[in-house]
Amino acid sequence: MPEAIETQLKKGVLALCVLSLLSRGDGYAYDIASRLAAAIDMGEGTIYPLMRRLQGDGLVDTYLVESSAGPPRKYYRLTEAGRAAYAQQKTEWAAFATAVNDIVGAGE
Amino acid sequence: MTRTEFMTRLRRGLSGLSPAVIAEAAADYEAHFDEAIAAGRTEQEAAGALGDPVRLGRELRAELGLKRWDDSKSPSSALSAVLALLGLGALDILILLPILMSVLSALISLFLAVVVVIIAGGGVLVAGPFIHDFQTPWLPVFGGLAMVTGGTAVGAILTLFTIGLINALVWFGRLHYRLIKPAIEAQG
Repeated sequence: MPEAIETQLKKGVLALCVLSLLSRGDGYAYDIASRLAAAIDMGEGTIYPLMRRLQGDGLVDTYLVESSAGPPRKYYRLTEAGRAAYAQQKTEWAAFATAVNDIVGAGE
Repeated sequence: MTRTEFMTRLRRGLSGLSPAVIAEAAADYEAHFDEAIAAGRTEQEAAGALGDPVRLGRELRAELGLKRWDDSKSPSSALSAVLALLGLGALDILILLPILMSVLSALISLFLAVVVVIIAGGGVLVAGPFIHDFQTPWLPVFGGLAMVTGGTAVGAILTLFTIGLINALVWFGRLHYRLIKPAIEAQG
């Protein structure tokens, strides 16, 4: 079932994408969700269970920032463990992507 | 779907969890609606892009169940992890149940056997010399000790195997539950 493969691929890389976005700067969930939802087709709500998991695993922590309009925003930032996890997952992903490209590219 | 409908369904999906957890999760989605409306989207658009609230509730609940298992390995957290995965539809109960039942009953009977061996070993160790006049008096003592330590070792191996089994289920389940699709697309 191609659809199942597609959703599982996306699910697998979703955490990596979030870690990558946060490695470039702290962010709040709405911003992360809308950027990822636009790039990989997924429900924006998916981000919240994922953020909870990353937080539970100690890869991110949160702080509140007063916003000019409305209630304070909850920002996420990478912890030391989060940076280490990002570096490791990035390497794994690069190796995996290269291997798949070599095989898929060779078939053409 | 309006914001109120979305929040009602989400809370329904989370019911049974602690009020603090529900409030925290609800606050995340309320903030999301606030941001979306500030960005010029309608409530309907925002709710549609978030995805199915019932499913989101289940996924949050599952994360908490799996986290409990990650934090502490106990029979009750094992049960909650497996139930969480079943709730997500990540594990197919019809396929899984007969397998789980047979593995589980085998494990339980092995554990019982281990307990019996340990107790019997203790019995041999203590009562052996009095009941029967062995030619070498050390025989029941060593025999009993061997039964107790052997039983304990097998019990420890069984425990490790059980933890590994649940870990494998959790790994498989996490990999297999599906990304939530935007609700708009699901209707289209």
